[in-house]
Amino acid sequence: MIARITYAFREMWASFRRNLTLTAAAVLTSAIALLLVGTTFLIQRAFENLLVQWSGNVEMIVFVRSDATPDQISLIDQTIRSSPTIIDIGKLRYLDKAASYEEAKRIFAADPVTLSLLTPESIPSQFKVVPLTDDTTLVRSLSEQYRSLPGVEQVALAEDEFQVISTLSRFIRIVTFVMSLVLLIVAVGLIWNTIRTAMFARRREIEVMKLVGATNWFIRVPFMLEGLLQGFIGGAVSCGFLWILNSAWTNGVSKFTPGTGISSLVVPSDYLSGVMIVLLAIGSLAGAVGSAIAASRFLEV
Amino acid sequence: MIRLENVTKRYGTETVAVRDASFDIPKGEFVFLVGPSGSGKSTLLRLINRQEKPERGDVWVAGRNINDLPQSRIPYLRRSMGNVFQDYKLLPNKTVFENVAFALEVIGKPRHVIARQVPVVLDMVGLGDKADRFPNQLSGGEQQRVSIARAFVNRPLIMLADEPTGNLDPATGEGIMALLDDINQTGATVVMATHDHRVVNSMRRRVIQLDRGVIVRDQERGVYE
Repeated sequence: MIARITYAFREMWASFRRNLTLTAAAVLTSAIALLLVGTTFLIQRAFENLLVQWSGNVEMIVFVRSDATPDQISLIDQTIRSSPTIIDIGKLRYLDKAASYEEAKRIFAADPVTLSLLTPESIPSQFKVVPLTDDTTLVRSLSEQYRSLPGVEQVALAEDEFQVISTLSRFIRIVTFVMSLVLLIVAVGLIWNTIRTAMFARRREIEVMKLVGATNWFIRVPFMLEGLLQGFIGGAVSCGFLWILNSAWTNGVSKFTPGTGISSLVVPSDYLSGVMIVLLAIGSLAGAVGSAIAASRFLEV
Repeated sequence: MIRLENVTKRYGTETVAVRDASFDIPKGEFVFLVGPSGSGKSTLLRLINRQEKPERGDVWVAGRNINDLPQSRIPYLRRSMGNVFQDYKLLPNKTVFENVAFALEVIGKPRHVIARQVPVVLDMVGLGDKADRFPNQLSGGEQQRVSIARAFVNRPLIMLADEPTGNLDPATGEGIMALLDDINQTGATVVMATHDHRVVNSMRRRVIQLDRGVIVRDQERGVYE
């Protein structure tokens, strides 16, 4: 048994070194494919963070026309207060024109052109609404109701921003997933080809092995180990790249002002190490499977 | 030990390699398969070690019909046979010792068994002092001796030899035949395909003659005609 194991590892290593160029190509391709797979995981996780953080306190803003009469404003206020089970009345705030202008000065601090178009007279005042419920359809139907009230200029929902974000994240997820899948198939193909070449180079040896009564598994195992090693190294390389990428991203994001949403696009390090383990596993598995297919085809007869 | 019953083997749809061949080789016999190139000698050997499957008929080895042998059992069938070829089929990057040890290694024999058995069989074929040479440092006759040592190191019941003297001069060929005769004396059944008249005539053993895949003669103590 020990003789068999040492034999398998010795053969694997010899063959691994013999086809160094092909091996390097297979390792590199699987590394890139796995890096994309890993990036997909991280992007998904980052966007999830973003959505989770915002869904807790969905906010609705009811903008009031600047020429609205005090009666109209109080009607809006009463209407909002008439749904105390849906709206957190305690957190309802009314920003009058002066307060709204102060807020706008902060929002558009980096945008003086927009700000110059606004005056304390022309700016809409606003009700900031915090819903009690998580039911976004209910909130949306309320917003439709408010929109039809006289004096209301516009109702903005944070949910609409989520839709942009989730559409974006879905799009990025699909693109990266498809790309990594394609590259993974290419990587398996390359590993398959490497092993096939290795087996072709040793066809005499394999013929002799078969004639003296070696089992197919005995012949196959060193090649499968070789493919597994290639996949594992590819996985390790991709983990290194992924770590560098994530560190750079985390550093870059920390320079943004907190609370802008971007800062939530950071992945915790225990999640990153989980992804790395998965990448190593996928790499090893893909390598072993690719070489097993190559070996089986060669061992027929 | 080896029995063929009405065995037919075709390659493709046209070429008939062996047609309706039947014979029975008892344990310990030495048999020549003779006939011109392409008459089906090699195919018969390949049917016996299950490199080929017959189209019709049955092949029996050691009392077992090997036609319905599952793929996974074929290696164990082959461990009861030694194969010798015209072109030796030695591995060029391994030494004489390693070439012979290889046959034991791949069937999972432990190191101490290999270390004990290989020198014995190398002495038997007269190459005890050349264990560390590589095949390209040996003459043709010596290479064939290594190949016989490799085939015999596992003490098989059957030796299959396909033109083992085909690449050798007559004197060297005689040495190889003496070796195969020695192996036969130990009780192994030897089946040898050849078209070497001299060898067949000097040995005077059973001769099975083939012509275009058909057995045309099966004679005890025969000669090459």
